[in-house]
Amino acid sequence: MGLVWRITRLNFRAVLEYRAEFMLKVAVGAAWQISVVVFATVLLTRFPGMGGWATSDVLLLASMRLLSHGLYVLLLGRVTWTHIIVQLGQIDAFMLRPMPVYRQVQLAFFNVNAVGDLLVAASLFAGAVLVVDVDWTPARIVYLVVALVGGVLAEGAIGTVLGSIALHAPATAYWSLWLDEMMTAFGNYPLHILPGLVRDAFTFVVPLAFVAYLPAAVLTGHVDTLAVPGWLAVASPLVGLLAYLASRLLWKRSLRAYKGYGGT
Amino acid sequence: MDAIIARDLTKTFHTIARRPGFVGGLKSLVAPARIAKTAVDGVSFSVREGELLALLGPNGAGKSTTIKMLTGILVPTSGSVHVAGIEPHRDRERNARTIGAVFGQRTQLWWDLPARDSLAILRDIFGVEAEEYRRRLSEFDDLLGLSEFWDTRIRHLSLGQRVRCDLAAALIHDPKIVFLDEPTIGMDVVVKEQVREFLRHQVERRGRAVVLTTHDMTEVNRLAERIVLINHGRLFFDGSLTELRSRFGATWQVHVTLADAPAEVAVPGLRVLRHDGPRVAFGPGEGATTTHEALRLIIERYAISDLTIEENDLEDVMREAYLHREQVTA
Repeated sequence: MGLVWRITRLNFRAVLEYRAEFMLKVAVGAAWQISVVVFATVLLTRFPGMGGWATSDVLLLASMRLLSHGLYVLLLGRVTWTHIIVQLGQIDAFMLRPMPVYRQVQLAFFNVNAVGDLLVAASLFAGAVLVVDVDWTPARIVYLVVALVGGVLAEGAIGTVLGSIALHAPATAYWSLWLDEMMTAFGNYPLHILPGLVRDAFTFVVPLAFVAYLPAAVLTGHVDTLAVPGWLAVASPLVGLLAYLASRLLWKRSLRAYKGYGGT
Repeated sequence: MDAIIARDLTKTFHTIARRPGFVGGLKSLVAPARIAKTAVDGVSFSVREGELLALLGPNGAGKSTTIKMLTGILVPTSGSVHVAGIEPHRDRERNARTIGAVFGQRTQLWWDLPARDSLAILRDIFGVEAEEYRRRLSEFDDLLGLSEFWDTRIRHLSLGQRVRCDLAAALIHDPKIVFLDEPTIGMDVVVKEQVREFLRHQVERRGRAVVLTTHDMTEVNRLAERIVLINHGRLFFDGSLTELRSRFGATWQVHVTLADAPAEVAVPGLRVLRHDGPRVAFGPGEGATTTHEALRLIIERYAISDLTIEENDLEDVMREAYLHREQVTA
């Protein structure tokens, strides 16, 4: 952990030296999330009580999704840059060091956008926790924290699957962008407002529902409105963990079949 | 003792065959025809401790793929490879502690960090003791002049400066075996010589086994004790520079001025290329011989007052070797 912290600190120091670039990246991260919040606010004020959920419940769901996403970008997000890391020949260099390649991908650079993402997400999250009609017992607080970690891991699983494919096919960059758009567009709202097929796709194909929708439903008492069993909703953080572990296995297999980059 | 042993090393890549034209492109999309391309085909060689081996071949010959298998980046399709007793692809992290590598065309350092920070991170990753690290860094600074630019970010360094930092990074953990893939590409002559001196030091004084790929024949001439040539993925020569010259560089000329001016000149095994009074030019005859042997034969028959030897330079020899291989495989 000491080494990870040291490398992260040096990477952070490196981005700080390009001040204008640093500020622009923080600002774009914040602007991106603010635009999501503004859109959500418009939706919620025009259509209060979305799918039977109170506005404050949806606010909690959206803030959990945004906070999980911000933490994901900060901690695991570099994996979606695998296509560029491959093209720069850095995977070859990582394989020459006695450290897991996946960890080195995560330590390749400091993702400044995450700072902006987190600033907005944390503010919104603090507000949502205060206004939502939930009795914050110690058990619910623990579940909230575990759910956020599960959300990070669920999104990490999606990123790692894309990264695993990117080791062989750099075109996954477009899939990353598309999935990010999809998650931003649909991840902040109760998914049961969508047609059944789309809702099921966001539950069982892309595990978006497990990032925030299902845990938020558990916390706000909407388990009865879900299309999945209550125990599965409660177990969302575990699903996130299992999905992430499975994606790491895929990464390992993919790395073993890595064909290198450059000449013969 | 052998530091590297490769036996029947083979790497086959599977790709989609490209059909010509727009319709061909569509056909490839709908019904792709997979083809196997063997980049390295049954290559066997070994490298001893304290030996510098030049792994040479034309572009696309399979040199980089071979090095990537030796370093654990690629998994061989078949055959075996042992580097310091370790199978690189099976035990990548342990292998990484035993080897160092420089790929001249791209850096292994952190692009946005000063070189010294990158080296410090590598010290921590490889677990090098602080005192040992200071000593090695000082040694590398003496040999490569790193302190002039090691506080500059890698992205702002010139190519020569960057590769010198990469060399230090590759050796900071004191590996027994070093792989260098075109380490002096794009360098000016002064830096090239500095790097060559550094490599010579690593082999002769530190006893490291070095595998070097390069297209710079001066480098080969000055550094390589042994040469392995590959083309189309197959090894077709493994020997010393002298052996290489005698096999592929037999187009030398020996110009002599004879003490007399005989009307007829003939030396068995040599061909008379020109004869103008006392001045005679000999070339290799049937059963091509070396220049040393040619000199002996000439001196045995004639008294000479002057002598010049024109040997093909190494580039000519290599061209001859590559073309020879092309003809054999055609």
